[in-house]
Amino acid sequence: MDITAVIELDQVRFGYGGEALLPPVSASIYPGELWVIVGPNGAGKSTLLKTALGLLRPLGGRVSRGGTIGYVPQRSRFEDGVPGRSIDVVCSGAGRGWSFLRPWTGPATRTRARSVLREVGAEPQSQSAFATLSEGQRQRVAIARALVDRPDLLVLDEPTSAMDVVAEHRVMELLETLRRTRGCGVLMVSHNLPVVAEFATHALILDREGPLALAGPVAELGDRPEVVARYGDLFSAARCAGGPRASTPHGAREHGHHAHLGGEASR
Amino acid sequence: MIATLRDFVSLWELFRYPTLAGVLAGAALGLLGVYIVLRRMVFLSAALSQVASLGVAAGVFVQARLLGHPSEGGDALGWATALTLAVAIALTRSRKLGGDRALGFVFLGSWAGTLALGTRIVAELHDIESLLSGSAVAVLPDDFRALVTWLVPMLLLHVWWWRGFSAVTQDADDARVRGLPVTLLETALVISLAMGISVVTRVLGALPAFAFSVLPALAALAIAPNLGWALIAAAVVGATSGGVGYVVSYGLELPVGAAQALVGAALTLCCGAVAVTVARLRALLTKSEQ
Repeated sequence: MDITAVIELDQVRFGYGGEALLPPVSASIYPGELWVIVGPNGAGKSTLLKTALGLLRPLGGRVSRGGTIGYVPQRSRFEDGVPGRSIDVVCSGAGRGWSFLRPWTGPATRTRARSVLREVGAEPQSQSAFATLSEGQRQRVAIARALVDRPDLLVLDEPTSAMDVVAEHRVMELLETLRRTRGCGVLMVSHNLPVVAEFATHALILDREGPLALAGPVAELGDRPEVVARYGDLFSAARCAGGPRASTPHGAREHGHHAHLGGEASR
Repeated sequence: MIATLRDFVSLWELFRYPTLAGVLAGAALGLLGVYIVLRRMVFLSAALSQVASLGVAAGVFVQARLLGHPSEGGDALGWATALTLAVAIALTRSRKLGGDRALGFVFLGSWAGTLALGTRIVAELHDIESLLSGSAVAVLPDDFRALVTWLVPMLLLHVWWWRGFSAVTQDADDARVRGLPVTLLETALVISLAMGISVVTRVLGALPAFAFSVLPALAALAIAPNLGWALIAAAVVGATSGGVGYVVSYGLELPVGAAQALVGAALTLCCGAVAVTVARLRALLTKSEQ
Protein backbone atom coordinates (compact mmCIF):
# COMPACT_ATOMS: atom_id res chain seq x y z
CA MET A 1 0.00 0.00 0.00
CA ASP A 2 1.42 3.34 -0.98
CA ILE A 3 1.38 5.76 1.94
CA THR A 4 1.81 9.43 1.16
CA ALA A 5 3.78 11.82 3.34
CA VAL A 6 1.69 14.10 5.53
CA ILE A 7 4.32 16.81 5.20
CA GLU A 8 7.03 16.87 2.59
CA LEU A 9 9.83 19.44 2.67
CA ASP A 10 11.84 19.61 -0.53
CA GLN A 11 14.96 21.76 -0.28
CA VAL A 12 13.06 24.22 1.88
CA ARG A 13 14.77 27.47 2.86
CA PHE A 14 13.15 29.19 5.80
CA GLY A 15 13.59 32.38 7.78
CA TYR A 16 12.28 35.90 8.19
CA GLY A 17 12.61 39.04 6.08
CA GLY A 18 13.96 37.19 3.05
CA GLU A 19 16.98 35.95 4.98
CA ALA A 20 17.36 32.19 5.29
CA LEU A 21 18.37 31.02 8.75
CA LEU A 22 19.96 27.77 7.61
CA PRO A 23 20.82 25.75 4.48
CA PRO A 24 17.88 24.11 2.68
CA VAL A 25 16.31 21.12 4.40
CA SER A 26 14.43 18.12 3.00
CA ALA A 27 12.28 15.63 4.88
CA SER A 28 9.22 13.47 4.34
CA ILE A 29 7.08 12.93 7.41
CA TYR A 30 4.75 9.92 7.41
CA PRO A 31 2.06 8.67 9.76
CA GLY A 32 3.56 6.47 12.45
CA GLU A 33 6.82 8.38 12.75
CA LEU A 34 7.87 10.54 15.67
CA TRP A 35 9.92 13.48 14.44
CA VAL A 36 11.61 15.95 16.73
CA ILE A 37 12.97 19.28 15.52
CA VAL A 38 15.86 19.84 17.86
CA GLY A 39 18.42 22.57 18.28
CA PRO A 40 19.55 25.38 20.55
CA ASN A 41 17.57 28.57 21.18
CA GLY A 42 17.33 30.76 18.08
CA ALA A 43 18.16 27.92 15.70
CA GLY A 44 14.87 28.36 13.83
CA LYS A 45 12.97 25.35 15.19
CA SER A 46 9.61 27.09 15.51
CA THR A 47 10.22 28.95 12.23
CA LEU A 48 10.71 25.65 10.41
CA LEU A 49 7.64 24.20 12.12
CA LYS A 50 5.50 27.16 11.04
CA THR A 51 6.91 26.92 7.52
CA ALA A 52 6.04 23.22 7.41
CA LEU A 53 2.50 24.00 8.59
CA GLY A 54 2.01 26.72 5.97
CA LEU A 55 1.88 29.51 8.55
CA LEU A 56 5.04 31.04 7.05
CA ARG A 57 6.02 31.07 3.40
CA PRO A 58 9.21 29.20 2.57
CA LEU A 59 11.96 31.39 1.13
CA GLY A 60 12.73 28.65 -1.36
CA GLY A 61 11.96 25.03 -2.12
CA ARG A 62 8.59 23.34 -1.80
CA VAL A 63 6.37 22.35 1.11
CA SER A 64 3.53 19.95 0.43
CA ARG A 65 0.95 18.61 2.83
CA GLY A 66 -1.04 15.48 2.13
CA GLY A 67 -3.09 14.69 5.20
CA THR A 68 -4.93 16.13 8.15
CA ILE A 69 -2.88 17.83 10.84
CA GLY A 70 -3.69 18.48 14.49
CA TYR A 71 -1.76 21.41 15.89
CA VAL A 72 -0.84 22.14 19.51
CA PRO A 73 0.59 25.68 19.62
CA GLN A 74 3.12 26.67 22.25
CA ARG A 75 0.58 28.86 23.96
CA SER A 76 -3.07 29.39 23.13
CA ARG A 77 -5.65 31.93 24.24
CA PHE A 78 -7.33 29.29 26.39
CA GLU A 79 -4.68 30.17 28.91
CA ASP A 80 -5.57 33.85 28.66
CA GLY A 81 -9.10 34.11 29.88
CA VAL A 82 -11.22 32.23 27.37
CA PRO A 83 -13.81 30.51 29.56
CA GLY A 84 -14.23 26.82 29.02
CA ARG A 85 -14.18 23.38 30.60
CA SER A 86 -11.79 20.82 29.22
CA ILE A 87 -14.57 19.21 27.21
CA ASP A 88 -15.41 22.59 25.64
CA VAL A 89 -11.76 23.17 24.77
CA VAL A 90 -11.58 19.80 23.04
CA CYS A 91 -14.88 20.36 21.18
CA SER A 92 -13.61 23.74 19.93
CA GLY A 93 -10.88 21.89 18.05
CA ALA A 94 -13.39 19.92 16.00
CA GLY A 95 -14.16 20.84 12.42
CA ARG A 96 -12.12 21.86 9.42
CA GLY A 97 -12.53 24.19 6.49
CA TRP A 98 -16.04 25.61 6.24
CA SER A 99 -17.55 23.29 8.86
CA PHE A 100 -18.04 26.35 11.11
CA LEU A 101 -21.09 27.14 8.96
CA ARG A 102 -22.91 24.60 11.11
CA PRO A 103 -23.37 26.70 14.26
CA TRP A 104 -23.83 23.79 16.65
CA THR A 105 -21.51 20.87 17.23
CA GLY A 106 -23.60 17.76 17.60
CA PRO A 107 -23.58 15.15 20.38
CA ALA A 108 -21.25 13.06 18.20
CA THR A 109 -18.52 15.67 18.65
CA ARG A 110 -18.93 15.62 22.42
CA THR A 111 -18.78 11.83 22.45
CA ARG A 112 -15.60 12.00 20.38
CA ALA A 113 -14.19 14.66 22.69
CA ARG A 114 -14.88 12.50 25.74
CA SER A 115 -13.24 9.57 24.02
CA VAL A 116 -10.00 11.44 23.26
CA LEU A 117 -9.94 12.91 26.76
CA ARG A 118 -10.08 9.33 28.05
CA GLU A 119 -7.36 8.33 25.62
CA VAL A 120 -4.96 11.02 26.85
CA GLY A 121 -5.80 10.35 30.50
CA ALA A 122 -7.65 13.61 31.11
CA GLU A 123 -11.19 12.30 31.46
CA PRO A 124 -11.41 13.12 35.20
CA GLN A 125 -10.78 16.76 34.30
CA SER A 126 -13.37 16.89 31.50
CA GLN A 127 -15.74 19.13 33.47
CA SER A 128 -13.01 21.20 35.14
CA ALA A 129 -12.33 24.73 33.97
CA PHE A 130 -9.27 24.66 31.71
CA ALA A 131 -7.76 27.62 33.55
CA THR A 132 -7.66 25.65 36.82
CA LEU A 133 -5.64 22.72 35.43
CA SER A 134 -1.96 22.07 36.03
CA GLU A 135 0.51 22.56 33.16
CA GLY A 136 0.66 18.82 32.48
CA GLN A 137 -3.13 18.44 32.51
CA ARG A 138 -3.52 21.43 30.18
CA GLN A 139 -1.11 19.92 27.72
CA ARG A 140 -3.06 16.66 27.74
CA VAL A 141 -6.28 18.56 27.04
CA ALA A 142 -4.54 20.55 24.28
CA ILE A 143 -3.34 17.27 22.75
CA ALA A 144 -6.88 15.86 22.99
CA ARG A 145 -8.14 18.99 21.21
CA ALA A 146 -5.69 18.42 18.38
CA LEU A 147 -6.66 14.74 18.18
CA VAL A 148 -10.42 15.19 18.09
CA ASP A 149 -10.55 15.15 14.27
CA ARG A 150 -8.31 12.03 14.10
CA PRO A 151 -5.39 13.72 12.32
CA ASP A 152 -2.70 11.86 10.39
CA LEU A 153 -0.06 13.99 12.05
CA LEU A 154 0.07 15.66 15.45
CA VAL A 155 2.25 18.79 15.47
CA LEU A 156 3.40 20.28 18.77
CA ASP A 157 5.47 23.41 19.34
CA GLU A 158 7.61 22.85 22.45
CA PRO A 159 4.89 20.93 24.28
CA THR A 160 6.95 20.39 27.39
CA SER A 161 8.76 23.72 27.71
CA ALA A 162 6.98 24.77 30.92
CA MET A 163 7.06 21.36 32.62
CA ASP A 164 9.21 19.66 35.18
CA VAL A 165 11.11 16.54 34.19
CA VAL A 166 8.47 14.09 35.42
CA ALA A 167 5.59 15.85 33.65
CA GLU A 168 7.70 16.13 30.49
CA HIS A 169 8.43 12.42 30.52
CA ARG A 170 4.74 11.60 30.96
CA VAL A 171 3.78 13.75 27.99
CA MET A 172 6.45 12.11 25.86
CA GLU A 173 5.19 8.67 26.89
CA LEU A 174 1.68 9.75 25.97
CA LEU A 175 2.83 10.88 22.51
CA GLU A 176 4.65 7.60 22.03
CA THR A 177 1.52 5.66 23.04
CA LEU A 178 -0.65 7.69 20.67
CA ARG A 179 1.81 7.09 17.87
CA ARG A 180 1.72 3.36 18.44
CA THR A 181 -1.99 2.92 19.08
CA ARG A 182 -3.36 5.40 16.55
CA GLY A 183 -0.58 5.11 14.00
CA CYS A 184 -0.55 8.88 13.61
CA GLY A 185 2.69 10.73 13.09
CA VAL A 186 4.12 13.19 15.58
CA LEU A 187 6.20 16.24 14.74
CA MET A 188 7.38 18.29 17.66
CA VAL A 189 9.87 20.96 18.58
CA SER A 190 12.20 20.34 21.49
CA HIS A 191 15.50 21.61 22.78
CA ASN A 192 15.89 18.54 24.94
CA LEU A 193 18.35 16.15 23.27
CA PRO A 194 17.78 13.24 25.67
CA VAL A 195 14.13 13.30 24.61
CA VAL A 196 15.17 12.88 21.00
CA ALA A 197 17.43 10.01 21.93
CA GLU A 198 14.77 8.23 23.95
CA PHE A 199 11.59 8.70 21.96
CA ALA A 200 12.15 9.96 18.43
CA THR A 201 12.31 7.79 15.34
CA HIS A 202 13.49 10.74 13.26
CA ALA A 203 15.04 14.12 13.93
CA LEU A 204 15.58 17.44 12.26
CA ILE A 205 18.74 18.88 13.77
CA LEU A 206 19.08 22.62 13.35
CA ASP A 207 22.05 24.62 14.51
CA ARG A 208 23.18 27.99 13.23
CA GLU A 209 26.68 27.30 14.43
CA GLY A 210 28.09 25.16 11.71
CA PRO A 211 25.55 25.65 10.26
CA LEU A 212 23.64 22.36 10.50
CA ALA A 213 20.31 21.43 8.97
CA LEU A 214 20.07 17.65 9.01
CA ALA A 215 17.05 15.43 8.72
CA GLY A 216 16.63 11.68 8.93
CA PRO A 217 16.22 8.64 11.16
CA VAL A 218 17.82 9.14 14.56
CA ALA A 219 19.89 5.99 14.15
CA GLU A 220 21.50 7.32 10.98
CA LEU A 221 22.00 10.85 12.20
CA GLY A 222 24.02 9.53 15.12
CA ASP A 223 26.75 8.39 12.73
CA ARG A 224 27.13 11.71 10.98
CA PRO A 225 30.56 13.19 11.74
CA GLU A 226 29.15 16.71 12.15
CA VAL A 227 26.57 15.42 14.65
CA VAL A 228 29.20 13.44 16.56
CA ALA A 229 31.46 16.49 16.59
CA ARG A 230 28.71 18.69 17.97
CA TYR A 231 26.69 16.36 20.22
CA GLY A 232 29.10 13.53 21.00
CA ASP A 233 27.69 10.02 21.10
CA LEU A 234 24.23 10.97 22.35
CA PHE A 235 22.37 9.60 19.32
CA SER A 236 24.72 6.63 18.92
CA ALA A 237 24.33 5.78 22.60
CA ALA A 238 20.58 5.74 22.21
CA ARG A 239 20.89 3.39 19.27
CA CYS A 240 23.30 1.06 21.09
CA ALA A 241 20.93 0.94 24.03
CA GLY A 242 18.27 -0.59 21.82
CA GLY A 243 17.56 2.50 19.77
CA PRO A 244 14.79 4.89 20.35
CA ARG A 245 11.83 3.16 22.00
CA ALA A 246 9.95 3.99 18.93
CA SER A 247 9.69 1.73 16.00
CA THR A 248 7.63 2.87 13.08
CA PRO A 249 4.60 0.82 12.14
CA HIS A 250 5.88 1.05 8.57
CA GLY A 251 9.16 -0.71 9.06
CA ALA A 252 10.61 0.03 5.66
CA ARG A 253 10.68 3.70 6.37
CA GLU A 254 12.46 3.31 9.66
CA HIS A 255 15.67 2.92 7.79
CA GLY A 256 15.25 6.03 5.84
CA HIS A 257 13.83 5.00 2.51
CA HIS A 258 11.54 7.96 2.46
CA ALA A 259 13.11 10.26 5.00
CA HIS A 260 15.72 12.12 3.05
CA LEU A 261 18.85 12.61 4.98
CA GLY A 262 19.59 16.26 4.58
CA GLY A 263 23.28 15.63 4.06
CA GLU A 264 23.55 17.94 1.14
CA ALA A 265 21.98 20.58 3.31
CA SER A 266 24.82 20.81 5.79
CA ARG A 267 27.95 22.65 5.10
CA MET B 1 -40.05 53.31 41.47
CA ILE B 2 -43.32 51.71 40.38
CA ALA B 3 -44.76 55.14 39.66
CA THR B 4 -41.73 55.90 37.49
CA LEU B 5 -42.20 52.67 35.60
CA ARG B 6 -45.89 53.39 35.15
CA ASP B 7 -45.04 56.83 33.77
CA PHE B 8 -42.46 55.30 31.47
CA VAL B 9 -44.91 52.75 30.12
CA SER B 10 -47.57 55.40 29.59
CA LEU B 11 -45.06 57.35 27.49
CA TRP B 12 -43.95 54.26 25.56
CA GLU B 13 -44.82 55.80 22.19
CA LEU B 14 -42.28 58.53 22.92
CA PHE B 15 -39.61 56.26 24.39
CA ARG B 16 -40.08 53.30 22.10
CA TYR B 17 -37.32 54.01 19.59
CA PRO B 18 -34.60 55.06 22.06
CA THR B 19 -35.34 52.12 24.37
CA LEU B 20 -35.37 49.56 21.58
CA ALA B 21 -32.27 51.21 20.08
CA GLY B 22 -30.48 50.77 23.43
CA VAL B 23 -31.54 47.12 23.65
CA LEU B 24 -30.46 46.34 20.09
CA ALA B 25 -27.15 48.24 20.34
CA GLY B 26 -26.39 46.66 23.72
CA ALA B 27 -27.05 43.16 22.43
CA ALA B 28 -25.00 43.60 19.24
CA LEU B 29 -22.01 45.37 20.75
CA GLY B 30 -22.20 43.18 23.85
CA LEU B 31 -21.73 40.09 21.70
CA LEU B 32 -18.94 41.67 19.65
CA GLY B 33 -17.31 42.88 22.86
CA VAL B 34 -16.46 39.28 23.82
CA TYR B 35 -14.06 39.14 20.87
CA ILE B 36 -12.72 42.61 21.70
CA VAL B 37 -11.97 41.67 25.32
CA LEU B 38 -10.51 38.26 24.49
CA ARG B 39 -8.20 39.81 21.90
CA ARG B 40 -7.11 42.40 24.46
CA MET B 41 -8.27 45.17 22.15
CA VAL B 42 -10.44 47.06 24.63
CA PHE B 43 -8.83 50.31 23.60
CA LEU B 44 -9.72 49.56 19.97
CA SER B 45 -13.40 50.19 20.60
CA ALA B 46 -12.55 53.47 22.38
CA ALA B 47 -10.41 54.53 19.42
CA LEU B 48 -13.06 53.47 16.90
CA SER B 49 -15.86 55.29 18.72
CA GLN B 50 -13.64 58.38 18.75
CA VAL B 51 -12.98 58.00 15.02
CA ALA B 52 -16.71 57.66 14.47
CA SER B 53 -17.17 60.89 16.44
CA LEU B 54 -14.73 62.61 14.11
CA GLY B 55 -16.72 61.17 11.21
CA VAL B 56 -19.96 62.65 12.58
CA ALA B 57 -18.33 66.05 13.12
CA ALA B 58 -16.76 65.92 9.65
CA GLY B 59 -20.11 65.01 8.11
CA VAL B 60 -21.84 67.95 9.81
CA PHE B 61 -18.98 70.29 8.85
CA VAL B 62 -19.09 69.30 5.19
CA GLN B 63 -22.89 69.50 5.01
CA ALA B 64 -23.32 72.71 6.96
CA ARG B 65 -20.25 74.70 5.99
CA LEU B 66 -18.93 73.45 2.67
CA LEU B 67 -22.19 72.40 0.97
CA GLY B 68 -24.18 75.10 2.69
CA HIS B 69 -27.20 73.11 3.87
CA PRO B 70 -27.98 71.48 7.21
CA SER B 71 -26.57 68.07 7.89
CA GLU B 72 -28.66 64.99 7.36
CA GLY B 73 -28.16 62.08 9.72
CA GLY B 74 -27.47 59.64 6.92
CA ASP B 75 -24.64 61.74 5.53
CA ALA B 76 -22.96 62.05 8.89
CA LEU B 77 -23.40 58.34 9.40
CA GLY B 78 -21.78 57.69 6.05
CA TRP B 79 -18.75 59.75 7.03
CA ALA B 80 -18.53 58.02 10.39
CA THR B 81 -18.79 54.59 8.85
CA ALA B 82 -16.28 55.22 6.10
CA LEU B 83 -13.74 56.71 8.47
CA THR B 84 -14.17 53.97 11.05
CA LEU B 85 -13.89 51.25 8.47
CA ALA B 86 -10.76 52.75 6.97
CA VAL B 87 -9.05 53.05 10.32
CA ALA B 88 -10.14 49.61 11.50
CA ILE B 89 -8.84 47.94 8.39
CA ALA B 90 -5.60 49.93 8.50
CA LEU B 91 -5.09 48.95 12.13
CA THR B 92 -5.52 45.27 11.48
CA ARG B 93 -3.76 45.08 8.13
CA SER B 94 -0.61 47.04 8.85
CA ARG B 95 1.78 45.05 10.98
CA LYS B 96 4.08 48.05 11.08
CA LEU B 97 1.56 49.88 13.21
CA GLY B 98 2.27 48.78 16.75
CA GLY B 99 -0.97 47.84 18.53
CA ASP B 100 -1.20 50.21 21.48
CA ARG B 101 0.84 52.99 19.89
CA ALA B 102 -1.35 53.10 16.78
CA LEU B 103 -4.53 53.03 18.83
CA GLY B 104 -3.25 55.82 21.06
CA PHE B 105 -2.37 57.88 17.99
CA VAL B 106 -5.78 57.29 16.41
CA PHE B 107 -7.65 58.00 19.64
CA LEU B 108 -5.83 61.28 20.33
CA GLY B 109 -5.84 62.40 16.69
CA SER B 110 -9.58 61.79 16.37
CA TRP B 111 -10.35 63.45 19.68
CA ALA B 112 -8.34 66.54 18.77
CA GLY B 113 -9.80 66.55 15.25
CA THR B 114 -13.35 66.44 16.59
CA LEU B 115 -12.66 69.34 18.96
CA ALA B 116 -10.96 71.35 16.18
CA LEU B 117 -13.84 70.78 13.76
CA GLY B 118 -16.25 71.70 16.54
CA THR B 119 -14.95 75.27 16.51
CA ARG B 120 -16.04 75.55 12.86
CA ILE B 121 -19.60 74.28 13.48
CA VAL B 122 -20.49 76.24 16.58
CA ALA B 123 -24.21 76.25 15.82
CA GLU B 124 -24.40 72.46 15.74
CA LEU B 125 -21.71 71.84 18.35
CA HIS B 126 -24.05 71.43 21.29
CA ASP B 127 -26.15 68.87 19.49
CA ILE B 128 -23.06 66.98 18.41
CA GLU B 129 -21.54 66.97 21.89
CA SER B 130 -24.73 65.73 23.47
CA LEU B 131 -25.03 63.07 20.82
CA LEU B 132 -21.48 61.84 21.14
CA SER B 133 -21.52 61.72 24.92
CA GLY B 134 -24.75 59.77 24.77
CA SER B 135 -27.08 62.35 26.25
CA ALA B 136 -29.47 62.32 23.30
CA VAL B 137 -32.91 61.49 24.67
CA ALA B 138 -34.63 60.96 21.36
CA VAL B 139 -33.81 58.50 18.62
CA LEU B 140 -35.41 59.38 15.31
CA PRO B 141 -37.22 56.66 13.37
CA ASP B 142 -34.66 57.01 10.55
CA ASP B 143 -31.80 56.49 12.99
CA PHE B 144 -33.55 53.49 14.48
CA ARG B 145 -34.02 52.05 11.01
CA ALA B 146 -30.29 52.58 10.35
CA LEU B 147 -29.51 50.65 13.54
CA VAL B 148 -31.80 47.79 12.56
CA THR B 149 -30.47 47.74 9.00
CA TRP B 150 -26.86 47.32 10.14
CA LEU B 151 -27.09 45.50 13.45
CA VAL B 152 -29.72 42.83 12.80
CA PRO B 153 -27.92 41.26 9.79
CA MET B 154 -24.65 41.58 11.70
CA LEU B 155 -26.14 39.77 14.70
CA LEU B 156 -27.52 37.03 12.46
CA LEU B 157 -24.13 36.58 10.81
CA HIS B 158 -22.49 36.30 14.22
CA VAL B 159 -24.99 33.73 15.41
CA TRP B 160 -24.41 31.72 12.23
CA TRP B 161 -20.62 31.99 12.06
CA TRP B 162 -19.83 32.09 15.77
CA ARG B 163 -17.73 28.95 15.67
CA GLY B 164 -15.54 30.47 12.97
CA PHE B 165 -15.15 33.80 14.77
CA SER B 166 -14.39 31.94 18.01
CA ALA B 167 -11.79 29.77 16.30
CA VAL B 168 -9.84 32.71 14.87
CA THR B 169 -10.09 34.55 18.19
CA GLN B 170 -8.85 31.58 20.20
CA ASP B 171 -5.94 30.78 17.91
CA ALA B 172 -5.63 32.06 14.35
CA ASP B 173 -2.66 29.78 13.59
CA ASP B 174 -4.58 26.68 14.68
CA ALA B 175 -7.57 27.83 12.62
CA ARG B 176 -5.29 28.25 9.59
CA VAL B 177 -3.84 24.74 10.04
CA ARG B 178 -7.41 23.39 10.18
CA GLY B 179 -8.15 25.09 6.86
CA LEU B 180 -10.62 27.71 8.10
CA PRO B 181 -10.87 30.84 5.90
CA VAL B 182 -9.03 32.95 8.49
CA THR B 183 -8.63 36.07 6.33
CA LEU B 184 -12.35 36.12 5.51
CA LEU B 185 -13.33 35.58 9.15
CA GLU B 186 -10.90 38.21 10.45
CA THR B 187 -12.08 40.73 7.86
CA ALA B 188 -15.74 40.03 8.61
CA LEU B 189 -15.04 40.46 12.31
CA VAL B 190 -13.21 43.77 11.82
CA ILE B 191 -15.93 45.11 9.53
CA SER B 192 -18.57 44.05 12.07
CA LEU B 193 -16.72 45.91 14.81
CA ALA B 194 -16.22 49.02 12.70
CA MET B 195 -19.80 49.10 11.44
CA GLY B 196 -21.32 48.26 14.82
CA ILE B 197 -19.34 50.86 16.73
CA SER B 198 -19.78 53.59 14.14
CA VAL B 199 -23.53 53.17 13.75
CA VAL B 200 -24.09 53.01 17.53
CA THR B 201 -21.84 56.03 18.06
CA ARG B 202 -23.83 57.99 15.51
CA VAL B 203 -27.24 57.03 16.94
CA LEU B 204 -26.59 56.69 20.68
CA GLY B 205 -23.21 58.31 21.34
CA ALA B 206 -19.56 57.46 21.90
CA LEU B 207 -19.91 56.66 25.61
CA PRO B 208 -22.60 53.96 25.28
CA ALA B 209 -20.85 52.54 22.21
CA PHE B 210 -17.65 52.09 24.21
CA ALA B 211 -19.52 50.86 27.29
CA PHE B 212 -21.59 48.29 25.37
CA SER B 213 -18.51 46.90 23.67
CA VAL B 214 -16.60 46.30 26.90
CA LEU B 215 -18.75 45.94 30.04
CA PRO B 216 -21.20 43.19 28.99
CA ALA B 217 -18.27 41.08 27.76
CA LEU B 218 -16.46 41.49 31.09
CA ALA B 219 -19.62 40.44 32.93
CA ALA B 220 -20.27 37.48 30.66
CA LEU B 221 -16.69 36.18 30.71
CA ALA B 222 -16.80 36.23 34.51
CA ILE B 223 -19.82 33.93 34.78
CA ALA B 224 -20.12 31.88 31.58
CA PRO B 225 -18.86 28.29 31.60
CA ASN B 226 -17.73 28.45 27.97
CA LEU B 227 -17.40 30.77 25.02
CA GLY B 228 -20.79 29.97 23.51
CA TRP B 229 -22.58 30.88 26.72
CA ALA B 230 -20.33 33.94 27.12
CA LEU B 231 -21.56 35.28 23.77
CA ILE B 232 -25.20 34.72 24.76
CA ALA B 233 -24.69 36.20 28.24
CA ALA B 234 -22.88 39.25 26.82
CA ALA B 235 -25.73 39.94 24.41
CA VAL B 236 -28.27 39.63 27.26
CA VAL B 237 -26.26 41.86 29.63
CA GLY B 238 -25.74 44.39 26.82
CA ALA B 239 -29.44 44.46 25.93
CA THR B 240 -30.33 44.84 29.62
CA SER B 241 -27.85 47.71 30.03
CA GLY B 242 -29.31 49.47 26.99
CA GLY B 243 -32.95 49.01 27.96
CA VAL B 244 -32.78 49.37 31.75
CA GLY B 245 -30.24 52.18 31.37
CA TYR B 246 -32.81 54.20 29.43
CA VAL B 247 -35.46 53.63 32.11
CA VAL B 248 -32.97 54.57 34.83
CA SER B 249 -32.02 57.74 32.97
CA TYR B 250 -35.71 58.67 32.83
CA GLY B 251 -36.33 57.86 36.49
CA LEU B 252 -33.22 59.50 37.93
CA GLU B 253 -32.94 62.23 35.31
CA LEU B 254 -29.47 61.15 34.24
CA PRO B 255 -27.86 61.47 30.81
CA VAL B 256 -28.90 58.41 28.80
CA GLY B 257 -25.40 57.27 27.84
CA ALA B 258 -24.11 57.63 31.38
CA ALA B 259 -27.08 55.71 32.80
CA GLN B 260 -26.60 52.88 30.29
CA ALA B 261 -22.87 52.70 31.09
CA LEU B 262 -23.59 52.72 34.83
CA VAL B 263 -26.14 49.91 34.55
CA GLY B 264 -23.56 47.95 32.53
CA ALA B 265 -20.93 48.61 35.20
CA ALA B 266 -23.32 47.54 37.97
CA LEU B 267 -24.16 44.31 36.15
CA THR B 268 -20.45 43.65 35.60
CA LEU B 269 -19.76 44.09 39.31
CA CYS B 270 -22.66 41.76 40.18
CA CYS B 271 -21.39 39.09 37.78
CA GLY B 272 -17.87 39.46 39.16
CA ALA B 273 -19.20 39.05 42.71
CA VAL B 274 -21.20 35.97 41.69
CA ALA B 275 -18.13 34.46 40.02
CA VAL B 276 -15.94 35.03 43.08
CA THR B 277 -18.61 33.65 45.44
CA VAL B 278 -19.15 30.53 43.34
CA ALA B 279 -15.39 29.94 43.09
CA ARG B 280 -15.03 30.21 46.88
CA LEU B 281 -17.98 27.92 47.52
CA ARG B 282 -16.53 25.36 45.13
CA ALA B 283 -13.17 25.56 46.87
CA LEU B 284 -14.86 25.07 50.27
CA LEU B 285 -16.84 22.14 48.91
CA THR B 286 -13.73 20.50 47.49
CA LYS B 287 -11.93 21.00 50.79
CA SER B 288 -14.76 19.48 52.81
CA GLU B 289 -14.96 16.49 50.43
CA GLN B 290 -11.26 15.85 51.00
